[in-house]
Amino acid sequence: MVGLNKNILRSILIASYIMIVALIISGVSALFSYLNTGADRSTMLHTEIQKVEQYLPKIDWEPLQNEGRSMDNQTLNALQSNYLDAWYVKQIAYKTNKPAGIKDYYTDSARENLYRFIELNKAEDITIEATTLKHNPTLEFFSEDGQMAVITDRNVIEYKRVFKAENVILETTETSNYKMVFLLEDGFWRIRHLVKEQAETYDAKTEPISVDNLNIKGINYYPQANPWNMFGDEFSADTISKDFKIIKDAGLNSVRLFVQYEDFGKEYVNPKKLEKLKETLDLAEAHNLKVVLTLFDFYGDYSVMSWTLNQRHAETIVEAVKDHSALLAWDIKNEPNLDFESRQKAVVIAWLDNMIDLVKSVDSIHPVTIGWSNTQSASILKDKVDFISFHYYEDLEHLDDAIKTMKTEIPNKPLVLQEFGISSYSGFWKPLGSSDEDQANYHKKIQEQIAANNLQFMSWTLYDFTDVPTDVVGSRPWRRNTQKHFGFIDKNGAKKASFKYISN
Amino acid sequence: MPLKRTYLFLLGLILLSSFAVIQQNETINTFELLTTQTDFKVGTNIVLKFSISEVEQPLLYCSNSYGSTVISSTLKNNTLEYFIPENITKKIGVVNWKLLAKNESISGQFNINPKAEIATLETYIGPPSIEAGGTDYTMLVVIPTDSLDNPVPTNTLVKAKHQFLASEETNDIYTKNLISWRNMYSKKESGRMLVSSESLGINSKEFTINVMPAIPTDFKISASRPHDYADGNQITSFTTSIIKDKQNNVISDGTFVTFFITNSEGNILKTTGTTIDGVATSKMIHPDYKDTWNIKAYVDGMAESDNISLNYKQVIEDFDVTFSDQNRTIIVGPLQSFMQQMIPDGLHVKLKIYQNEKLINTITKTSFNGYVNFKLKPAIYNNGTYNFSIETAGLSKEFKSKELW
Repeated sequence: MVGLNKNILRSILIASYIMIVALIISGVSALFSYLNTGADRSTMLHTEIQKVEQYLPKIDWEPLQNEGRSMDNQTLNALQSNYLDAWYVKQIAYKTNKPAGIKDYYTDSARENLYRFIELNKAEDITIEATTLKHNPTLEFFSEDGQMAVITDRNVIEYKRVFKAENVILETTETSNYKMVFLLEDGFWRIRHLVKEQAETYDAKTEPISVDNLNIKGINYYPQANPWNMFGDEFSADTISKDFKIIKDAGLNSVRLFVQYEDFGKEYVNPKKLEKLKETLDLAEAHNLKVVLTLFDFYGDYSVMSWTLNQRHAETIVEAVKDHSALLAWDIKNEPNLDFESRQKAVVIAWLDNMIDLVKSVDSIHPVTIGWSNTQSASILKDKVDFISFHYYEDLEHLDDAIKTMKTEIPNKPLVLQEFGISSYSGFWKPLGSSDEDQANYHKKIQEQIAANNLQFMSWTLYDFTDVPTDVVGSRPWRRNTQKHFGFIDKNGAKKASFKYISN
Repeated sequence: MPLKRTYLFLLGLILLSSFAVIQQNETINTFELLTTQTDFKVGTNIVLKFSISEVEQPLLYCSNSYGSTVISSTLKNNTLEYFIPENITKKIGVVNWKLLAKNESISGQFNINPKAEIATLETYIGPPSIEAGGTDYTMLVVIPTDSLDNPVPTNTLVKAKHQFLASEETNDIYTKNLISWRNMYSKKESGRMLVSSESLGINSKEFTINVMPAIPTDFKISASRPHDYADGNQITSFTTSIIKDKQNNVISDGTFVTFFITNSEGNILKTTGTTIDGVATSKMIHPDYKDTWNIKAYVDGMAESDNISLNYKQVIEDFDVTFSDQNRTIIVGPLQSFMQQMIPDGLHVKLKIYQNEKLINTITKTSFNGYVNFKLKPAIYNNGTYNFSIETAGLSKEFKSKELW
């Protein structure tokens, strides 16, 4: 008994000894590895600080005729950048009711005014999401020692959403004149005095654009080899030219193309992508096709703070191609109603509303539409768009009724069935799918309905694709495989039975 | 008859317009703004009153220069009262408001006007130093603010005052774009300008502007030396005249003056000095051989002096050289100066050693007690025939075919 006890004691002692040693070793090694990790040495010199633009409202300086010292470009840029940052930190502060960043852009006494607002709003549970869309500053004065400036900013367009207890209680757009005194302190142009001199409610008046001659018989187009990545490295003018010829020969007159937000460089549009877009438009023109250009594809953040960045993106693209004779219309966003749930309906609609204003302010000739994914959403913003676009992938039996409803809701604007089609996929992932023959019948039927209802149309799509990016329909194989077979032409380039009914 | 028609017409018009009014009343609203005042003095309490016909108590959105907020009301005798918060009433500018009623919302705005009262004169002046001469200026910027830190009304009088030497001036300037400003020009003289400002009885503190002399004009230089011998030992001092700007102000202390000395061989020696009370001095050791110096001074890029010339006389007319110790010891000297005194220590003597018409070494030594000794070690200079040349104080002596053994 005694021997057994001793053995137990021994083994416990040895085991605990081993455990203690193991613990110490693991502790030391954790400490050692902690000391060995850290910032990359290359970051030590802070050589790669890059300015990230957060806030880019449209800013138009009046010609410089200021009193005092004459202004140079470099200082004016610094002043403008700090001024916009001052707006940005203010918007963030009122959105979060936290004073972070305020002290960099407002002087000691000016920042108190903002702090008091933050305190008050915090106590009342009020938050304000706001952005400014347009500034027209005039430099009134620049001091001889370069340390002070006075600016009048006229007709600043401010969009605000006011929340109380997290409920929107007001959505307003105002236009105001501000006068402000800036001091150069610690290398920052800081606001010393800020006086609002005038304020009005703003109502963007956009002129409706005539769509009397609109007669869209078209198709949604992506090249077969690189769908959803049309303007990437595999961009091929020859392929597009051949495809446009097929489309034209099929009796269609237009194509719908997509400009992807991130792919085109977000707020700074990549000029190479623009070149490719223009080249594509040139090809369309050569084949006598018109183009409906859909902006903001694959974009899903409608937050007020990124409006200015989105608007710079749209502005650059619209400005670049608005004079192209192949251009037919602007489609602001593809199926934005799908984001209603995740991004709040009101936010998405406000974003669309303001984006329409922006596009129309740059291009007053081409009509504007929104590609709604269903017929129920089609009447949203019906007074802002010039023609109504909707997509239809549901049962054809209900199409006639849906159109009837839409025509009563929106009696005065043309309707364009902007996407429709059926997949001819039936296979392992979808054993009860449609066949090529079903697809042909579908197109035959819907073309009859289109003709009967006097609709304009753009079908989905020219080709069967070999690969569909997961961003489009997700990664579930029954969806991806279905999406691959919507074309009028199959993988091998042979026309499917449905091709006969590509047009009416 | 026409009178009757006119009557009828007028009556008809009145009837129509009354309908119009009634209709308007029907479409508008259950809320009505009772406060008629739209201009308020900053810092006063502001209450917006609305009459109501319903139980609803909507919120009121209002927005001023710095921000926006939403306020709720108190109900008093069927009147809704909105007390505008202090952070809005204390800042000047336009305040726009909107009543957030369920059905219709009415909106409007009022002005909060600045007080003609000043608490502080925020004064900025720059640049802090300017050049004399009447063309350069400094700028005084005054932002008068009231006790609530608001800029004062446009066209408020500000007195810009400054004193310089005997003159004291006051100029009237007026606020515009929230500020007032004035350029203050220098006069011909250099000195200190004291600046202050005053508005509505409130005075700023004192500011000082340095009026610096303008850039120097051309000047003269002179040299002084203990004697004119080229002894390589004494020092010649160069001095500028008092350097002045074109307005006759003595230039700033510390102005850098460079003296360029060109000797008879065309080599340039350089010495520098900085001015004190307009005068810069600089020194250079005498040459150790007969020479002529041409000296000119410059303030770089701004002004230059006249040219002066100095002659240095030869002090050593001749010297002896003795060879001893198998010609391996060469003694140069005595080296005697202008009064036959031994030359002060440190005169350079150069020995050049040639073998087979080829220079094999140059040895430079300095004199000590009037002599220089050269020792040629057998380990370095093998036995044989050498030529020597000895140079000092601009003189040179040659010794041919000396045998070392």
